[in-house]
Amino acid sequence: MKKQALLLLCFTLFFACKKDLAPMSGCTDNTAVNYSANAITDDGSCIFFSTTPFIIETPSGFPNMNIPANNPMTVEGVALGEKLFKDPILSRDNTQACINCHQQNFSFSDANQYSTGIDNIQGIRNASALINIGWNTSYNWDGSSLTLEEQAFEPVSNPIEMHNDWKVVESTLNSHADYPNLFKEAFNIDYIDSNYVVMAIAQFERTLISANSKFDKYLRSETQLTASELGGYAIFNSEKGDCFHCHGTQMFMDNLFHNNGLDPEPFTDLGLGKITNNASDNAKFKTPTLRNIEFSAPYMHDGRFSTLEEVVEHYNSGGEYSLTVDPLMKKLGVGLQLTNQEKQDLVAFLKTLTDSDFLEGK
Amino acid sequence: MKRIFLVITTISLVFTSCKKEEVIIEGCTDTGAVNYNTNATNDNGSCKYNLFLNFTHTVDGNLIETDQMIYSNAASQNYSVQTLRYLLSDITLHSANGTSTLLDDVHFITISDPSTFNLDIQDLNSANYTAISFTMGLDSLKNITDNYLNESFFPSFSWPDFMGGGYHYMQLEGDYTTAFQGYATHTGGADGIDFSFTKNFPISLNIANTNTTVIINMEINNWYSNPNIINLTTDGIMDNANKQALLQANGITDVFSVFYPIN
Repeated sequence: MKKQALLLLCFTLFFACKKDLAPMSGCTDNTAVNYSANAITDDGSCIFFSTTPFIIETPSGFPNMNIPANNPMTVEGVALGEKLFKDPILSRDNTQACINCHQQNFSFSDANQYSTGIDNIQGIRNASALINIGWNTSYNWDGSSLTLEEQAFEPVSNPIEMHNDWKVVESTLNSHADYPNLFKEAFNIDYIDSNYVVMAIAQFERTLISANSKFDKYLRSETQLTASELGGYAIFNSEKGDCFHCHGTQMFMDNLFHNNGLDPEPFTDLGLGKITNNASDNAKFKTPTLRNIEFSAPYMHDGRFSTLEEVVEHYNSGGEYSLTVDPLMKKLGVGLQLTNQEKQDLVAFLKTLTDSDFLEGK
Repeated sequence: MKRIFLVITTISLVFTSCKKEEVIIEGCTDTGAVNYNTNATNDNGSCKYNLFLNFTHTVDGNLIETDQMIYSNAASQNYSVQTLRYLLSDITLHSANGTSTLLDDVHFITISDPSTFNLDIQDLNSANYTAISFTMGLDSLKNITDNYLNESFFPSFSWPDFMGGGYHYMQLEGDYTTAFQGYATHTGGADGIDFSFTKNFPISLNIANTNTTVIINMEINNWYSNPNIINLTTDGIMDNANKQALLQANGITDVFSVFYPIN
């Protein structure tokens, strides 16, 4: 009898203690975002995980964007990705964000020929402009990444870029005041794993869409091109200029790799060939889009040309022979023999691809 | 005892009579068919078969090797092949009873991706097929800018509106002569003229009991030889309707051939 009384007392104490620690009512559904382990009765306050879809509008003349099934676009994910893209927290010494080398005013590229990492070390290639890259089928000048998610892993840990360790990034983000909540809202996760970091960044990068240049307005009959711009458009799309084979359609790129005759052998940068280990891919690099090309200088994979005039002059000269030079560089050693007017017209046309909305941000 | 006997008899009767009613099961009884039904007792003509189309590419009858300056054309020019991409459309089987079966609307083939050399047709009806036909390139109904935005040959195969719009039919590229100059035999609708052409090959194919392979071969050298001897050139030919007409004529003559198993 005494024993039973003691037990009863214990229970009473137990409940009393519990009552002091937390309210007995709350959300009792453990699939809810605000599930309370202490709640005994459900008070109808449960909030379940939901995200707002981010709709990508496909520009005229573009295919559907290829978005991975496991990383659907959400408003929450894009906002988180933008914050991460602009936050130096990803770099080891907290000094460098993605946007430092992919600056919006330069078409999300670097105005310097080579970008400088946190340890003051430079690479050998020009930072790629991030324009309409949601339609790319591979990333980096050499195509070494097949998805944006995969690509975003690389600069963070690259010793000549952000030189961080993903384990360190994870622990920094998990102990941050804001990020755990933002990741919870975007992905419904309680621990920030690096996979979710690159997923958010990739979502943001897919929103970097440019399709409202003067040229687009011309196609929509909202504006006229000058005689010089129209002349350049015609040369661009003729066999004489032959720009369109690699920079065709409203995407102004072909999603392929080419050796455009920059150098004779031996090559200092094997490009795609180093990735595929196939000698016939040596010195081939990914075709960039020409949209906003006016603001993504310097040009070529190694940023060797600082003006569009130099680029046009390279093609006009015919280019250098090598074993892998593209057959479409048909006038090696002869050149396109464009007149000065034609060269000026080409540059004028290229500048109609500038989209001020994209540079200023909407 | 009597009771037990009665029960047994009743069960046996019920069991066997039920079984008798289930004897006929309709389905495909051919073990070589893709939908062979092991339970079927009566063939209802539903059997389906696989057909494999295989696209091959030869120069002087030998399977093509890319990036090798080892070929010579009718104009006695040495050349190599770096790129070969083309579209075949309306690939169709025709059967003896006059019906036709569309195997593929548009098929893109590129020498850099061997998976494009195969077109596997599943669930084909058993029939005596008497011909196979296909169109080289895209006819004027299909060859419209932005018609194929989501196909693997976009954007690289697009043909500027300045030169008629639509898509390339073929991009055959490489180097020629000892000076290693580039050539680009690009065919398509120059000036908006439809230069696609349809080939129809009589065959005798009874698809049954086996997976059948039909080969469609492109002989590269014949693009340049019969009846028109065509010189490779560093000049682009997309805006040259005369050259396109010559290539079309050669293409119709003997560029393509079809091989099928003799039953």
